[in-house]
Amino acid sequence: MSQNYRSAGSPDNDETVILLDNVSKQYTNGAPAVNHVTLSVREGEFVFITGETGSGKSTLLKIMIHELVPTEGTVRVLGYDLNRIRHGKIAKFRRNLGIVFQDFRLLKDRDVYENVAFAQRIIQVPGNQIRRNVLNALDMVSLSDKYKRKVTQLSGGEQQRVALARALVNKPFILLADEPTGNLDADTAWEIMQLIERVNREFGTTVVVVTHDRGIVSRMHKRVIEMKQGEIIRDEGSTPAETYDDFEDDLFEYQDVDSDGYDYED
Amino acid sequence: MRISSLLHTVGQGFRLLFRNKSYSLASIGTISACLFLFGMFYSVLTNFQHIVRTAEEGVSVTVFFKHGVTEEQIDQIRIAVEEREEVAQVNYVSAEDAWASFSEEYLGEYAEGFTENPLEDSANLEIYLSDISKQSELVSYLESLEEVRMVNRSELTANTLSGANRLIGYASVAIIGILLLVAVFLISNTIATGIQSHKDEINIMKYIGATDLYVRGPYVFEGLLLGFLGSLIPLVVTYFVYNKAVEIITSRYYMLTQLMKFLPVEEIFTTLIPISVILGVGIGFVGSILTIRKHLHV
Ligand SMILES: Nc1ncnc2c1ncn2[C@@H]1O[C@H](COP(=O)(O)OP(=O)(O)OP(=O)(O)O)[C@@H](O)[C@H]1O
Ligand SMILES: [Mg+2]
Repeated sequence: MSQNYRSAGSPDNDETVILLDNVSKQYTNGAPAVNHVTLSVREGEFVFITGETGSGKSTLLKIMIHELVPTEGTVRVLGYDLNRIRHGKIAKFRRNLGIVFQDFRLLKDRDVYENVAFAQRIIQVPGNQIRRNVLNALDMVSLSDKYKRKVTQLSGGEQQRVALARALVNKPFILLADEPTGNLDADTAWEIMQLIERVNREFGTTVVVVTHDRGIVSRMHKRVIEMKQGEIIRDEGSTPAETYDDFEDDLFEYQDVDSDGYDYED
Repeated sequence: MRISSLLHTVGQGFRLLFRNKSYSLASIGTISACLFLFGMFYSVLTNFQHIVRTAEEGVSVTVFFKHGVTEEQIDQIRIAVEEREEVAQVNYVSAEDAWASFSEEYLGEYAEGFTENPLEDSANLEIYLSDISKQSELVSYLESLEEVRMVNRSELTANTLSGANRLIGYASVAIIGILLLVAVFLISNTIATGIQSHKDEINIMKYIGATDLYVRGPYVFEGLLLGFLGSLIPLVVTYFVYNKAVEIITSRYYMLTQLMKFLPVEEIFTTLIPISVILGVGIGFVGSILTIRKHLHV
């Protein structure tokens, strides 16, 4: 996975996976939700985005996944120029991302297994590989034994673990989560966050987590970007590039979902 | 498209159809009604055209000549008329022929009493047209010839027939057009309902990286399926109705069948089947594309 990404990174910085340059987003009226934000995230980093409510955290994350287009500034993610990405390439781009939401967004009429397999079917993984990949992903979030359960019969923490398994089963380069622990009690929240941390550590997956949980942020000792009124007011704890050098995991090897996805057409 | 996504499209398409039974039935019903009416109009129209064509074959213009016009001159005119595009056939009827058929028909043995031909100037040309709409043109040409004494024509029949033909055509186009719109509207609603109930799922699919084709395929297929099913029902119904109608008309109005001959159902259906299926599937396609454009922009 690392090789694949490194060979494809932006020319000025080989390891930058997310690059926002002077990005602003203004909704139809009112003050800008994101105001002249410049930041970069390196491969394998774990980044928290915090800040008070309404400070623009979710908006920033939506810009990173191309759900929103900024009104100003440039956005590059995994070599894709998101200002100019063609509509037909958005799906390809998103296959490199794992996205987790506060409200889980599971398919309520299906069981745990189907919820995770769903993600594999969408990207058209051959049928004979789906089972193995899904069970691996469920194993990682310790839900193998409940794979036949309807998701509505799970606790909040378990549901978020299913969502996490779904986000990870396609082996994304970047995991992005918007308040993934927002609906969970403190202990469960900590559990989920530890799980995300493990994914980052073991597989080298770049992680961006939006949270307002100061307790978790201060316990984790990761890079923290704090926002206020759309601007970054603090960015500290950035990890040195050397930390994430050798990741080897045969059980959960990253597949190349998008070998020609890097868009140099600009 | 890969086999797996084709299977996804087809499978989900069927699932959508059955999940929304009442909407699906309403859509299929409307398409059926639309195409049933179309089938009826088509059958009537085709038969009518067939009858008109048969009638046209009998419609003729008769030209009589002035006293003293010789057989050679008439023959010259015959050759000139035969050259004309709208003319199918020209028959020369000599004065003797005219007398012979007249006397045979009306006088019988009393004809023996005549020594001279009383229909001396009745030599004429019977002109049969291939294109009845050009009749007036031909008549004015004939009347402009100086040898011509009189032109008899059957304008009334010809105009009535092609006028009625056109009227049925317009009426059917109008009615079918309105029903078509209703059908597209209903299909569109059916598909929109399916999209609404899968909104969350569609949203997640997009985050995970589903292509447009993967997301939209099932809804397009649902539309095609509705259209296809909606075209089969009226074809079956039309088949039986047509045969029954021909049977009833033939048995009750025997006189009518002397005048006109109905086309066999097989002849109607060789064109009606493909037209209906294409129309049905086309309605489904248009309905689903319109809905997807409106409700499924990524
Ligand atoms: N769709 C929208 N249309 C208009 N304004 C919006 C929209 N979404 C967000 N905003 C506004 O933009 C600002 C930033 O919103 P955003 O959701 O990014 O904040 P946040 O930091 O995620 O807040 P929270 O912690 O409450 O989730 C807020 O003032 C919000 O009201
Ligand atoms: Mg938010």
